[in-house]
Amino acid sequence: MLKRGSARVGLGRLAIAALLLGLDCPRAEAHLVTTGLGPVYDGVAHLALSPADLALLVVVTLLAAMRGARPGRWLLALLPSAWLAGGVLGLTLPVNPSLDWAIGLAFLLAGGLVAADRNLPLPVVSGLVTILGAFHGFLTGAALTAAPSAGLELTGEWVALIVIVTLVAGLVVSLKAFWARIVVRVVGSWIAATGLLLIGWSFRA
Amino acid sequence: MKRISFILTFLLVITSAALAHEVRPAYLELRETAAETYDVLWKVPGLGDNLRLGLYVELPADCVNVTEPRAVMVNGAFAQRWTVKRAGGLAGSTIHIAGLQSTATDVLVRLERLDGTTQVTRLMPSSPSFVVEAVPDRWRLAETYLRLGTDHILKGVDHLLFVLGLLLIVGNRWMLLKTITAFTVAHSITLAVATLGFASAPLPPLNAAIALSILFLGPEIVRVWRGETSLTIRYPWVVAFAFGLLHGFGFASGLKATGLPQADIAWALLLFNVGVEIGQLLFVFLILGMARSYRQLEIRWPRWALALPGYTVGTLGAYWTIQRTVMLLGFIR
Repeated sequence: MLKRGSARVGLGRLAIAALLLGLDCPRAEAHLVTTGLGPVYDGVAHLALSPADLALLVVVTLLAAMRGARPGRWLLALLPSAWLAGGVLGLTLPVNPSLDWAIGLAFLLAGGLVAADRNLPLPVVSGLVTILGAFHGFLTGAALTAAPSAGLELTGEWVALIVIVTLVAGLVVSLKAFWARIVVRVVGSWIAATGLLLIGWSFRA
Repeated sequence: MKRISFILTFLLVITSAALAHEVRPAYLELRETAAETYDVLWKVPGLGDNLRLGLYVELPADCVNVTEPRAVMVNGAFAQRWTVKRAGGLAGSTIHIAGLQSTATDVLVRLERLDGTTQVTRLMPSSPSFVVEAVPDRWRLAETYLRLGTDHILKGVDHLLFVLGLLLIVGNRWMLLKTITAFTVAHSITLAVATLGFASAPLPPLNAAIALSILFLGPEIVRVWRGETSLTIRYPWVVAFAFGLLHGFGFASGLKATGLPQADIAWALLLFNVGVEIGQLLFVFLILGMARSYRQLEIRWPRWALALPGYTVGTLGAYWTIQRTVMLLGFIR
């Protein structure tokens, strides 16, 4: 388990800076990736090459893995399961919701908790992991309904999720240096700032 | 290492049905034989004895056929040759492959100019056209073969499963280095030998033998799990080398099926092999990274999960062996 640091990151300043920098960004849209290696690899590439998708998974992983190996193990059990359940639901429900504000809120919540480095109880961490994982999976499934082999692409994304979450969780749990925890918290603060940006963006129009 | 079981094996299983070692791109060769005149060779993978993939070359509309296309089925491929002429040459024009978007096949394109310079590119379902360059681009040539090699190993689930089997047997890092190196050296040898035309292995028995190599590893993994020993467990690099020779012939099929021109063969071979190594190392590091993560997270797997990879490797190896043997017998008959 990482040692807790005393430094506090300027979350508000980062959020404002990110908001100002992002004001002129074009609207982010769901996209499908074609690797030429088939739908499973397309799904793998889609997740691996989509920063917006990766950010939420990474911050959820940071949130759990910062608390040590046990929450990390719960993360590996809950996140893929919840994500897959949400993904299948997203595939079966023909909806295309515009939920930028909700994604922003998820970024803000999880990123803020990572940045704040609060010692949350395991049930709270597990609950957050499950809810955010299912939410992310649902959005992914809904975005894939137009894909010709949506089921295989979803499977590819799911496998990529397991691999990425496992690698990141193992890395974070193994970090022992004081400064490493600061780095993790900074990452969380940036994702929270991005969440603020997304919320502002969704209400802009 | 055993702890990576169900995730990796699941990945391999789900991709196996669609991707099991079937890499036969079509091949388009345009050779400038005189000013503004080109010999065209168009090879499309065959489907059985008389059928072929529905891929068609669309040259610029103002191209004129000097000779009519002559078609022949050879070595499981549909080959067509003809000569075309275009005022001003093909430079700057767009060539399109009709039907490519509805397949999972790639097309390798090689254009040879009068001065001996070449343009090599690879068309995919997502990019079925290319523009003929006025000047050659060596980087594109390198990228094409490099990607072809990487794609070949990533699509070749049987190769990856064999590497996974080796990783599950190997006990320590030094032995892992020796084993992976032995596999690499062995398949590089036969890849070169087969691609350069010094030896060849017919595809049906080769595929059955590769499947057998995977089946062979299954019981060995179970032996490791039970704490037993064997020649394979003590010297996995020997087995990696021996079976690596077989897998090299398999890699060569990815290059040979295209009928690559002799002018580029050494360069293509090197880059293709490097691409294969990149894909293989990526896979190895991914597995090692996941195994390390599981150790860090102090996961204690149930017994069935520990046994699963060995049984999965063995079961898939057995399935492919039977399937490919049946195909082989049908081929002989």
